[in-house]
Amino acid sequence: MTPFHGTDPKKFIADFHTSFHDELVDGDEDTGVIVDRYHTPDIVQIADGHRMDREKLIAHARPVRKNRPSGVWEVHEAVANGDRIAARSTLHVTNRNRKLTLEVYFFGQFTPDGRMRRGHSLTRTVPLDAAPEQAPGTPGRQEASA
Amino acid sequence: MTESTYAVSGMICGHCADFVTEELQRLDGVTAISVDVDNGTVTLTSENELDIAHVRAAVDEAGYELTAARD
Repeated sequence: MTPFHGTDPKKFIADFHTSFHDELVDGDEDTGVIVDRYHTPDIVQIADGHRMDREKLIAHARPVRKNRPSGVWEVHEAVANGDRIAARSTLHVTNRNRKLTLEVYFFGQFTPDGRMRRGHSLTRTVPLDAAPEQAPGTPGRQEASA
Repeated sequence: MTESTYAVSGMICGHCADFVTEELQRLDGVTAISVDVDNGTVTLTSENELDIAHVRAAVDEAGYELTAARD
């Protein structure tokens, strides 16, 4: 059984990021519980060469809750194979009154119940004057906190 | 010149480093800032010894937590 249960991989990955960050930002539930709902205990994420484990994900929840970033995940394409998914996205973030646009190239592995077990991503900051206009309603777009 | 290293939790990427740097560079007397995301440390070079309370407040303002001073 795949983690995706027939769901469009674009929607799966957009929903994953969106709901995880929304729960961190909007709720007051213990951040460890939220992290564990979305990740396995042995989660390893490597983002731009920086390694994150469960402890670091929980520690990062503090600035996320304080700064309450908002953003939009725009998933351009995603493919799934078994328990793995690859996605190319653009993340539009506003954090501490600063707007950021990031291209995100992601490879991940998920459990059958949808938790992330492993994630690798590379990002590229898009210069502000090069960022395209946002078009609401594009498939795979999700309002999210980042 | 004085150099002090502090442990800061919650940083996971270069953007985290930018946010912490942005607040620390407002401190009087700071001449250089070096952030090591993977080790969770920030090293400040300053003209005079810094008050850790001011450093902690700047880190907190960025949303992160100063957990220890490591001279």
